[in-house]
Amino acid sequence: MTADAFLFWFLAIVTLGSGLMVILQKNPIYSALSLAMTMVGMAALFVTLNAFFIAGVQLIVYAGAVMVLFTMVIMLFDLKQDIQAFTRGKLSGILKIASVGLLAGLVVGAIAMSVGLLTEKTTDNPVLVGNGMETTKALGQILYTKYIFGFEALGVLLLVIAVGAVALSRSKGGTHER
Amino acid sequence: MGMGKDSFEIIVNGLKLVVIFLMMVQLVPILVWVERRGSAFIQNRLGPNRVGPLGLMQLLADAVKFLTKEAFVPSTAKPLLYYAAPVFALIPGAVAFSAIPMSTPLTVGTFELFGQTWGPYTFLVQGYDIGVGIVFILGVSSLAAYTLLMAGFGSGNKYSLMGALRASAQTISYELALGLSIVGVIMMYGTFHLGDMTAAQQGTLHFQFMGYTVAANWLPNWGIFFQPLGALIFFAATFAESNRLPFDLAEGESELVAGFHTEYGGFKFNMFFIGEYGHMMISAGLMSIFFFGGYGIPFVSVDQVHQWASTVTANANWANALVSLIHFLVFNVKFFFFLWVFIWVRWTLPRFRYDQLMDLGWKTMLPWALANTIITAFVIYLASL
Repeated sequence: MTADAFLFWFLAIVTLGSGLMVILQKNPIYSALSLAMTMVGMAALFVTLNAFFIAGVQLIVYAGAVMVLFTMVIMLFDLKQDIQAFTRGKLSGILKIASVGLLAGLVVGAIAMSVGLLTEKTTDNPVLVGNGMETTKALGQILYTKYIFGFEALGVLLLVIAVGAVALSRSKGGTHER
Repeated sequence: MGMGKDSFEIIVNGLKLVVIFLMMVQLVPILVWVERRGSAFIQNRLGPNRVGPLGLMQLLADAVKFLTKEAFVPSTAKPLLYYAAPVFALIPGAVAFSAIPMSTPLTVGTFELFGQTWGPYTFLVQGYDIGVGIVFILGVSSLAAYTLLMAGFGSGNKYSLMGALRASAQTISYELALGLSIVGVIMMYGTFHLGDMTAAQQGTLHFQFMGYTVAANWLPNWGIFFQPLGALIFFAATFAESNRLPFDLAEGESELVAGFHTEYGGFKFNMFFIGEYGHMMISAGLMSIFFFGGYGIPFVSVDQVHQWASTVTANANWANALVSLIHFLVFNVKFFFFLWVFIWVRWTLPRFRYDQLMDLGWKTMLPWALANTIITAFVIYLASL
């Protein structure tokens, strides 16, 4: 086994293993920490694909900021009642089945869309340009030209979420109720 | 990437990683001594001066004390997190510190050893060279928030938990300002690579503006003269990132006993300490690389040092080694100066109140860092006209 193959399998097992731990752990804190580990594993997998900038951003944004906030918020709550509410009742049963269906749909969709992807040669893959700064420049250029719509749509989505969070916290029963 | 092309290079590169890690760990007792003596100097006291010359043996006495303390776990603690947190505290600091270039690459020509011809090699005076240097360093050091959360939650103590929550909220808030403050530098030099940034800061101050060359021979070509606001915000944010005064709300003694490491003693506490000092070292190293020319000597370029070194010794290998050594020393002068500033500030400024801390991070530093980014972008566009 070459070093690259070993690295890939090691990282894949760590990433998937910690991903499994997210849903197998009973304590939500451990779940959140496992999810952070998954993020770090994904960043390392990006490095093996020569996508250094994306790996760094994955670490900064997801592992370093988003998951820290999740963990922090989970630590602040006493989750015993919430766990009970989630494990019993018809609504949560429906939710569970719906999420299983959603996940199955995602997996099937991902497989269906990636058939033949490995043999297809892409021409605008930024990783093909070079190392370090050239890759990042190429990534920025295709992000602001070819994928500008998706990029801006994501920006609008984040804005809507931010406005919604403020509105929820200021509405009746929120933390900053007027 | 890769460790090297033959066994000699692989061994040297492996040893280099170990040496840099040991450098970071061994610097901590010395910094603790500097901190204690420095604080005493600032507060008109003597500080530790009994054990050995200048009190230097105090470090060894402390180490022995740390190692021989009773290993203690609170009954409410979660043992896995409690034991894992101090170990994890070392990782971000050590990994990020290895990516900081400390001198010019050391070039070694061919030579004979053990009846074989080896070389030529180029050894970087840093653990490893990653193309996106600064993004990697920021990414890895942002993981330090988890050690605080793990320690705070694992201790099973409300003071620890409060300290951990404060620390991680503060780290996230200031990470934004920190990241934005260096966007200006990255745009100006057009690279993430720390070595390239250092190379761009050689010689005396000169730049192109709308086709004219502007030069000032009485200033070195350092980043701080191009990005003064960025430098100020960056340096202030690094204090918050390493949880040191005036931002050490995480361990506000008067209200939280000692924050997230209340329940830690002996060597486990020491490892948190090493992690904190590791952050200080990364900040000091990055500060000198971004804004103070890195390993470059002010007004003098690396080529000029090379020319001088080749007049001293005829052997090209020794001349290269001399150049690397000189630049390593220059880097260390700047590095230790910023470490001293960290200690200096700690014993000069009082602690912020928590709302002041958040206001400073979100309402002052973040908008100014954003403004700095936008102004830099406009000026770079104007200068390229």
